[in-house]
Amino acid sequence: MLRYVAHRLLASIPVLFLVTLISFSLMQLVPGDPAILIAGLQATPAEVERIRHQLGLDQPFHVQLFSWYAHLLRGELGTSLLLGRDVLEVILERLPVSFSIALYALFLTVLVGLLAGIVAALRQNTLIDQLVMTVALIGVSLPNFWLALMLIVLFAVQLGWLPSGGYVDFRQDLWGWLRATTLPAVSLAMLQMGLLARITRSTMLEVLRQDYIRTARAKGLPQRLVVGKHALKNVMIPVVTVLGIVLSLLLSGSVVIETIFSIPGIGSLLGSSILRRDYPVIQAGLLFVATMLLLLNLLVDLVYAWLDPRIRYGRGE
Amino acid sequence: MRVIRWLGASAVLALSVGLATGEARAQFTCPVKGGDLVFGQEAKVNSLDQHASSTISTRNIAMHIYESLMTRSEDNDPIPELAESVSTSDDGKVHTFELRQGITFHNGKPMTSKDVVASFERYKKVGIERVILNNVESWEAPDPHTFVIRMKVAQPTFLEDLSSFSVPIVITPAENTEAPPLKMEPIGTGPFQFVEFVADSHVKLKRFEGYKPNTAFKDRTGFGGYKVACLDTVTFRIVTEPGARVAGLETGELHAVEDVPQASVKRLKENKAITIVPYENFWIHIATPNFAKPPTDNPLVRRAIQIALDMEEIMEAATDGAYNLNFGFQTKNRKVYSDKGKEFFNVKDPAKAKELLKQAGYKGEELVLLTNKDYTSMYNAALVMAEQLKAIGMNVRLEVQDWPATIATRDKSHDAWNYHFTGWGTNQALGYLAVFKFLAKPKPIYNFKNPEDTDPVFDAAYNDMISKPTVEERYEAFARVQYRVMENGLALPFGWLTKNQAVRSNVKNFVPFRIPRMYNVWMEK
Repeated sequence: MLRYVAHRLLASIPVLFLVTLISFSLMQLVPGDPAILIAGLQATPAEVERIRHQLGLDQPFHVQLFSWYAHLLRGELGTSLLLGRDVLEVILERLPVSFSIALYALFLTVLVGLLAGIVAALRQNTLIDQLVMTVALIGVSLPNFWLALMLIVLFAVQLGWLPSGGYVDFRQDLWGWLRATTLPAVSLAMLQMGLLARITRSTMLEVLRQDYIRTARAKGLPQRLVVGKHALKNVMIPVVTVLGIVLSLLLSGSVVIETIFSIPGIGSLLGSSILRRDYPVIQAGLLFVATMLLLLNLLVDLVYAWLDPRIRYGRGE
Repeated sequence: MRVIRWLGASAVLALSVGLATGEARAQFTCPVKGGDLVFGQEAKVNSLDQHASSTISTRNIAMHIYESLMTRSEDNDPIPELAESVSTSDDGKVHTFELRQGITFHNGKPMTSKDVVASFERYKKVGIERVILNNVESWEAPDPHTFVIRMKVAQPTFLEDLSSFSVPIVITPAENTEAPPLKMEPIGTGPFQFVEFVADSHVKLKRFEGYKPNTAFKDRTGFGGYKVACLDTVTFRIVTEPGARVAGLETGELHAVEDVPQASVKRLKENKAITIVPYENFWIHIATPNFAKPPTDNPLVRRAIQIALDMEEIMEAATDGAYNLNFGFQTKNRKVYSDKGKEFFNVKDPAKAKELLKQAGYKGEELVLLTNKDYTSMYNAALVMAEQLKAIGMNVRLEVQDWPATIATRDKSHDAWNYHFTGWGTNQALGYLAVFKFLAKPKPIYNFKNPEDTDPVFDAAYNDMISKPTVEERYEAFARVQYRVMENGLALPFGWLTKNQAVRSNVKNFVPFRIPRMYNVWMEK
């Protein structure tokens, strides 16, 4: 297993190289010059050129690229052109924000999505099934920016139960964090809940028709054991695949949700850096997101093996 | 030697009122002291280094922390801030600033002329608008309370430039001035001092207990005057989504916000807990032509376009009704105001425009309108303009990019656009000397490709405007510049945008200005 993990980690290096190469090249192609933004609109061409020189933006593409990789190998992600701060420091500052909200949203997704899917499958073709699937369909269909604004109007403006925006650090005030992140987490989770509920329902229906389930029932096992012990574990394989995708989406941050709720997370950082052409932050942000995706994929594969003993990773398999 | 000692505008007013009523107006005092005001700010802040950042979002906050030798009054006139007086030698080449005494920085250190010298030195190196110091030969600090600037040649408009609030030469402790661009510690002499900055989240300031108000004035005026921090703290929270800003104001989490969407104004007006404070003439909605790409290289085509347009239709779509069509590049309340060139504005005569296109020999060349969606109003204005020009037979294409890309395209891709959509805000607010800077040498926005090939009539009038010795002559030159801009289509103004700000009703004395001012503002409990 260790050999497999090591192999996967090594295999991710060329992937990350490609991701950074493509993102670096794309940023060079997009019009927009941070030097102009820094210098101000009234700056003379000579002043803009001076700033470009200071930032190293006047270097040929390949020089800039190799310089970036050389710094990366030394563990340096550079300095933000517009924040004037170390990029790694800026990203690490945002990480707990996006991470905590992502986990909260994942918790809601699993709790509601899984439960709704199981209930709908067990009550197939009843009113409950139709109701759950209709709600799930609405969840999948609603644009999250619209949902977020509606949640603000209802829970912040009309009912006054939750704040309309802002972020509270969970290390300082857990209750404040819970209040501040509930609406963003629900907005993020709604789409994922719908997806998960639908996938859980269809997988569960398939599993419930299997012979071993019929056998378990014939043995006289109660419903909770049939579902909880025998069916659920088999349902989890496709569900875990979806959860991996969901978590990677949540962790990479949501530009829209973080913007609406004024949350200083990774998504908001990446969004504003793209608008300000802050190349080092964009590059490091995308590298971070790509790394997270690769690690999550690996984690999902490892969970498969835990869930299904037939799946084994290693030499000769 | 001409010595200028200021009796603040409000002090003059108080004197005249006092003469009439037999009593002098007292200096401002806070009716209520305390409270944490939370302001919903629309744009993100990259740095609080007021020398090296030109964004409005930086100014919103930094102008509460820092002060300059001179600033602008409510009427946009230059007034002293950290200077007690300014005297100018008879030949106009030496400006001597006597500094106010007893001023301390937020770090507790007294401010002296050494700090002023160091701050000017840093600005000369990294200041965004260091061009205003180009004509300065040297400066010196003969004693701790005097700062002297020697000019290469007399420049009658120098003090006006020096008082600019665009990217002001703020005074910071000498030991703070070695900082590289964007990294200066936010230490100033202003009524509020820095507490914390969480990027993309908020900036918090608190009252500076050691602040010494300028007793030459009775009350706040512009960015100067007699300033008092009534509030304990001010938190500038970054809320970029307009709907979320409005919601925050309605719930009371935000006490004041900027840029309220016009669509929400009617509803908010019905809410007694909220007061809308519109800031009129925030910027001139405008498009600037490119002389390097046909068909806008042809003055007759530019004139045809000018004549065809219905500005009311354009501004209505662009701003959802938050505008006025007053003609002019300065507002009517300013002494310099002129309506010269009005005959070229909002003519809406498509038939005549078609005739002019024929005369110009227009053969259906593509006209590219370069706009963006980051500022919806610019995008909408371009959409309507495109339709109006198609109606006179022009071949129009919209090129939509994000804002930084449009700037880069405008500056570098001279064959890719004909009109660039923008807004002239800070420069028009700074006054007549600044408003046409974009059209002047060495970087005339209408001809980046051939910056030497400029409009000689405009250049001559512009030169008079910035160099004539008397104000009257400069005002007259301004009118000529404005006329030429319209006559030759150097810029295409659409109208003035109104920016709605709003406060909770318990927030008092919040008067909209170029940037929100939190001094002399209090909150009733």
